[in-house]
Amino acid sequence: MNLVLELFAIAVVIIGTAFSVIGVLGFMRLPDVYTRLHATGKVSIFGVVLLLLATVALTPLGFAKGLVLIVLLVLGGPATSHALGSAAHRLGIPLRQALRDDLQALESSDHPEPQRVG
Amino acid sequence: MVMAFLRTFVVLFGVYLAITGNLEPANLILGLIVAAIITVLVPPRSRAGSLSRLPGALWGLIRYLVILAVDIITNGINVARIVLDPALPIRPGIIAIPSGCHNEVATALSAHAISVTPGELVMGIDEQFTLYVHCLDVTHAAEYSAQAQAMRRELLSKILY
Amino acid sequence: MTQQILFFVLHGSLIIHLGLIVVCVWRVWRGENVIDRIIGADLVSTLILAVLVLVALIWLNPTYIDVALGLAGLSFVGTIALTKYIADQQLF
Repeated sequence: MNLVLELFAIAVVIIGTAFSVIGVLGFMRLPDVYTRLHATGKVSIFGVVLLLLATVALTPLGFAKGLVLIVLLVLGGPATSHALGSAAHRLGIPLRQALRDDLQALESSDHPEPQRVG
Repeated sequence: MVMAFLRTFVVLFGVYLAITGNLEPANLILGLIVAAIITVLVPPRSRAGSLSRLPGALWGLIRYLVILAVDIITNGINVARIVLDPALPIRPGIIAIPSGCHNEVATALSAHAISVTPGELVMGIDEQFTLYVHCLDVTHAAEYSAQAQAMRRELLSKILY
Repeated sequence: MTQQILFFVLHGSLIIHLGLIVVCVWRVWRGENVIDRIIGADLVSTLILAVLVLVALIWLNPTYIDVALGLAGLSFVGTIALTKYIADQQLF
């Protein structure tokens, strides 16, 4: 049983580290802000969550805390990405190599500013 | 009414037990008191459903989570393949997807489900609950995401009964 | 045997994550616009989260996961507040 848990932890840590490296590589390589957000979201969704799964498997006391942190990351990551993306679009940072932009047509037409909460 | 209070209370008590992490009777009693105080202070806004539809909602929730996990893993491997490719074959763009649900909670949950999959990101929502999604691969997403959203809406109407 | 492999894997992962933090800090310094720098800072805090989880795994000490919980909440609130300030030129 212990052996199975340790093998699981080894596999999960290796895969998580690989996804972190891929995420930072995408952050360096991709052309504009919006596409970089996809790569950096992957670091927190895959990298840290997989490392936390290893923690859940190995440390008996950190079991429930790891699960709470996984839920927090999965709920909070998309909110951060959306805030950064919509702020960039509001500031007018251009999309590079974009094929289509439906949001631009909405914002440049005569629609009033949508009511925002907060 | 009791059902909505009970839902908040159970979630708060579970999170308290998970964070503190010991099961002594004193800690259990303290957790019950803290969860009860917060439940009374923050009244639930959502309407309460009947108890008889709870099993269907739980089964829908499990199916929703499994579909979401499979989506996240397959899309993550796709994005990793795109990043590791030397030619960087991206076709980015923003497309409009009508969410189809006239409920704010259901729209927010489907926006979360779209944003949490790598390669898709919700950039804005207008008054008709249309989601504006930035995709790494527009031509693939334009034909795929409409039916995924239809299935998600059906499951969400079952969960948020 | 698996203990030693786990030891090497965890320490290698720790070193790789520290290297990634250095790369991201360089990117924050040489960013091309404001949002790019905020994305870099958010990525740095996510990688510090990963380092804390790895330290908790190496020393088998669940206290570091509490620290990671606090850091996750603070970096979430901080990034969203900074982004709202930059987009609206005011906080409230």
